[in-house]
Amino acid sequence: MWPVQETAVAVDGLSFRYGRLPVIDGLSLHIPPGVSFGLLGPNGSGKTTLIRLMVGLLRPALGTVRCLGRPPTRAIARQIGYMPQLPALYSELTVEQNIDFFARIYGLRDGRRRAARVAEVVRLVDLWPKRREAVLRLSGGMKQRVSLGCAIVHNPPLIFLDEPTVGLDPELRASFWEYFRGLTRSGSTLIISSHTMDDAAHCDRLVFLRLGKIIALGSPGELRAATGRPDASLEDAFLYFIRRG
Amino acid sequence: MMLSSTLTIAGRIINQVVRDRRTIALLVLVPLVIISVIGVSVPDKRVLDYTAPAMLATLILFFGFLLTGISFLRERSQGTLERLMASPISRFDIVGGYLLGFLTFALLQTMIIFFYAVYVLDVSSHGDLWQVLVFQVVIGIGAVCLGTFFSVFARNEFQMMQFIPLILLPQMFLCGILWPVSQMPDYLQWISKFLPLTYGVDGIRALMLEGKGLVDIGQDVGILAAYAVGFVVLAAASIRRNASS
Repeated sequence: MWPVQETAVAVDGLSFRYGRLPVIDGLSLHIPPGVSFGLLGPNGSGKTTLIRLMVGLLRPALGTVRCLGRPPTRAIARQIGYMPQLPALYSELTVEQNIDFFARIYGLRDGRRRAARVAEVVRLVDLWPKRREAVLRLSGGMKQRVSLGCAIVHNPPLIFLDEPTVGLDPELRASFWEYFRGLTRSGSTLIISSHTMDDAAHCDRLVFLRLGKIIALGSPGELRAATGRPDASLEDAFLYFIRRG
Repeated sequence: MMLSSTLTIAGRIINQVVRDRRTIALLVLVPLVIISVIGVSVPDKRVLDYTAPAMLATLILFFGFLLTGISFLRERSQGTLERLMASPISRFDIVGGYLLGFLTFALLQTMIIFFYAVYVLDVSSHGDLWQVLVFQVVIGIGAVCLGTFFSVFARNEFQMMQFIPLILLPQMFLCGILWPVSQMPDYLQWISKFLPLTYGVDGIRALMLEGKGLVDIGQDVGILAAYAVGFVVLAAASIRRNASS
């Protein structure tokens, strides 16, 4: 088992710019372990950049990131799962081969245990009948599921999912969230970016992002309650915090 | 760098190519067509003996550069490179995997061309096949890494193709494939000294036409090996885990 941390991800004074354009602007955030944590915001609010900074794919201009108590370098990459926004799969390879490849890359060396884990993950993402199908022949939603399988095959305690439910039908979206809840119940921390309030309602904790800054932080209930209206939706709450500045 | 990760990536590349039957067919047929055209269009056997070995060196450079360049470009554009960079493997694992994977096909091509040229087109060869293969590996390492490096500067396949006239064609004209370097103007002879294919063509002619060994062409091998090391470093440097703002 991985050592238990008080904070799964600690971000302090983080800034990042593309050229002259500030994308993340002095952002600080502490994410507790064992929760599903949503990064919510419109397109261009900095969600993907923040995830890429937290995973270690981008180097901040200012500030620090610590995942499970350590900087996000290769040394702790085995404890992190990352599902990028694009499906990011090898289209000629089958579902099984893609997941098996990432299992090997993440150090699952023992052939028998790896095969069992790959089979388990293929079933988890509900693609068992399609396991020997080339990814290029799959639908968008199926590719998303393979991509999720590649991110979780090594059983990481910290998982970053960048817009995992984009393009999924409501039924599949519900099954993804059911699975995510199962992961957090078993102690994993999920950081999930989304621009839909439907996803936001499923998260344990949320931040609303706008122009690279946090405009609100709390549980979905707390954020709705902050509007002062008992019937407020999360969308109302987001607009409330934007207007409040 | 871990051997198992390198082998995993090489295995994945080989698997991807093998599953694409049209690519496999083209990998075999295209070099045969090219060498056949040369064989048929060159009436003088002495000219054919002079040209055919040079084509062995040229084709491994050409296909090594192009296949790796486009393959790596896809790795970047599909997001799989980002996924790999978020994993525990190093960039040298990735370069090593690409080298092993594509060199396998480059060597298969070399053997096909060698046997076809010698036994079908009756090209003279006084050298050992294994020495030719070892020499081709040295050229191939440089070609694969050069392709990896230049893929950084292309955003799509069309741009990658533009590197053929820029990087490959000048070498083909200035390296003594069709006419001896010594017959070119002084400034072109000077330029040809900086082009790796010059040493590739020089060395392979010495191996096949003159029956020399690798030790006899140590200077060509050494210079090509130096280029290969340089291109490996450039290729690895072009793959960065974290880009700064």
